[in-house]
Amino acid sequence: MITVACYNIKGGVGKTAAAVNLAYLAAQGGANTLVWDLDPQGAASFYFRIKPRIKGGSFSLFQRKRRLDDVIKATDYPRLDLVPADFSYRNMDLLLEQQRKPGTRLKKLIKPLRSEYHFLFLDCAPSISLVSENIFAAADVLLVPTIPTTLSLRTLKQLQDFCAAGDYAHLTVIPFFSMVDRRKSLHREIVDNRSGLLEATPRTYIPYASEVEQMGTRRAPLDTYAHASWAARAYRDMWQELQPRLLARRRAG
Amino acid sequence: MQKPTIYPLLRADKLDHWHHRLSDDLKLDSDAVQRFEVTYYDSFDWRLYAAGKSLQCLRGPHGSETRLVELSDQSVTASLVVDVAEARFASSLPDSALRTRLEPLLEMRALLPLVTLKVVRYCLRQEDAEGKTRARLYLESFSRVDGAGQRRLLQKRLRLQPLRGYQKAADGLRRKLERRHELEATDDQLFAQALTAAGKQAGDYSSSPAIDLQPGMRADAAVRRVLSELFATMKANEAGVIADLDSEFLHDFRVAVRRTRSALGELKRVFPPATLQRFRREFAWLGSLTGNVRDLDVYLLKFDTYKSAIPAGLREDLEPLRAFLRYKQHAEHTQQLAPQLRGSRYRKLKQQWQRFLDAPLAKRPTARDAAKPVGLVAHHRTWRVYKRVLKEGAAITPESPHPELHELRKSCKKLRYLMEFFQSLYPPKGIRAAIKELKQLQGNLGDFQDADVQIAALKGFAMEMRRRGEYTAATGKAIDALLAVLQSRLHQVRAEFESRFELFASDTNQARFKRLFHPQEEADVA
Repeated sequence: MITVACYNIKGGVGKTAAAVNLAYLAAQGGANTLVWDLDPQGAASFYFRIKPRIKGGSFSLFQRKRRLDDVIKATDYPRLDLVPADFSYRNMDLLLEQQRKPGTRLKKLIKPLRSEYHFLFLDCAPSISLVSENIFAAADVLLVPTIPTTLSLRTLKQLQDFCAAGDYAHLTVIPFFSMVDRRKSLHREIVDNRSGLLEATPRTYIPYASEVEQMGTRRAPLDTYAHASWAARAYRDMWQELQPRLLARRRAG
Repeated sequence: MQKPTIYPLLRADKLDHWHHRLSDDLKLDSDAVQRFEVTYYDSFDWRLYAAGKSLQCLRGPHGSETRLVELSDQSVTASLVVDVAEARFASSLPDSALRTRLEPLLEMRALLPLVTLKVVRYCLRQEDAEGKTRARLYLESFSRVDGAGQRRLLQKRLRLQPLRGYQKAADGLRRKLERRHELEATDDQLFAQALTAAGKQAGDYSSSPAIDLQPGMRADAAVRRVLSELFATMKANEAGVIADLDSEFLHDFRVAVRRTRSALGELKRVFPPATLQRFRREFAWLGSLTGNVRDLDVYLLKFDTYKSAIPAGLREDLEPLRAFLRYKQHAEHTQQLAPQLRGSRYRKLKQQWQRFLDAPLAKRPTARDAAKPVGLVAHHRTWRVYKRVLKEGAAITPESPHPELHELRKSCKKLRYLMEFFQSLYPPKGIRAAIKELKQLQGNLGDFQDADVQIAALKGFAMEMRRRGEYTAATGKAIDALLAVLQSRLHQVRAEFESRFELFASDTNQARFKRLFHPQEEADVA
């Protein structure tokens, strides 16, 4: 199993859209895929029309009273399952702190699923905390949607420094451009002249598009209702670019 | 995927009637009707079936998908949007979970189609207020198109597919289906039914079939049974050899030929000498006919291992050798092997051999051992060959020339075949342990022989490549590196021989073989 965390310290950058759409494409391609909606706001669960609730809440999961296996829900798409969000996730930091080895609880929880799923996408809440440390420890790849602005790049730099400084040498950080608006000259300039931090970014970028926003009313992955749109094509191209890199990551690890 | 519940429907039932009834009664939504074909695949020796799996390729108007399915609960372990017919071997599939799962199971064996079914599927689903599907129902009909183009219905069924995390919804539907529609669940028989319809029997091939003999049987009858099994193996593999589907058809074919030759050679007092001589000559011809292609197959199978054994900088320069081997294998196969196996000499051999195997047993046989109990003959012959192995092995010193080791290897092979032919006459534990000991020694001798033959062959290939102008300085360097690897391997296994043989000839082992094979009534047979 390859664990991909869609993560950014900032919110509203297209994390959930990336997790949902890329997971959908992975499953369509034949891979058994799981999405874990770790954001207490439950946007991914909402997109899949699944109630953002876990029996016993996250407490039962982290107290080892319930296995992750028991709370998985099938989505409406073949090979694609979801661990729903739960409002109690907002207190996950507190919960984790009470555990032994609090930094690797998440990793322990997903371990039994390794042989069943080929991809696990973690849709992470924006923040940098004990939860993020758990995510970094559990993930193989950190997929970072990045809006091409100066501030976003600064945050990305912080994130990369943090990963390099901690015990996360196993982690591959892949930033990609998200919500790109080509009418804005700054966006154009950053996307077209990648250097330094951004050299490893996929060629494809996700445009700022109303079709993506419509996921909220359609409550379905983009490809199912706007297959021909620019944004849907961008996600498909992105997945084409990412998949070999993720598979290479599996072989290395 | 959760385990589905299967309800058989009557052959006369109309799926669209059921579709209307169920969607009205259970308030279900429907999706478009699906029409597609599914083809089941496995290797000739049923490796997937033996591992409790089946490989299915679904082909419909929207493309193809290949799935690896657990037979126990029909769950899909891996799938890929690809038509498996484009990849005969697991290793030629695109990098994916499907390939990762299939490669270790299938290794060098080709995927062959078993049976194709046409599927019509009506899809129903139960949704909640949010528009989320909570359970699925499928009305399905499966039919097979036979050789004459006739479509034959296999079964119609209703399948209730629970979704993970929504077991309650499925349970509710199950209750309603069983109470209100009087349906009764059964096991999933589709795969078995489809195979039967295609005249196939899962797991019906094994490269080393068990032969059940009784010690009191007449020796000629018992040995004929052994030979008949070997002949059946040859015939089963023949078509695959001619079509060159994968390397193992020829391998199994050759092993059966070699075992037959060994039986004819070691059990010569069981059959009349004139008959024996003719067949021994013809089977020897068959052995040499198949030798060249097999040697090239072995080279190609080991190629990646060879490649990784030489320095990284030279590896790519070895590729012209692979291309040359492929060309040569193909040429040998199409110009020699396949035409000869389609030819009259082989056909005549088969006819005569079949006649010999089917002929009634002579009431007063001329051959000395023919009417003796097979238990006795087996004891005696095995013991003789065992003693020969011990004698030949003990005579080998570090200075002995290579042919002496090759002779010992052949004797070991003969011993092994005899032990396997007559395996059912001995206590299972004892004979298995003895075979295991012998295998250890054979492993060393086989590795030695392989390296020795491959060094000689490689030199020949290099010369031939040079003649054909496919030999560059770089490839020459890579081949020299491979020669060095093979040489050092040869020395290594040669150095290990003495200690291996010492183990085989140890007192414990000698006692083990004596217990099994020492003939108490030697005077009777000799």
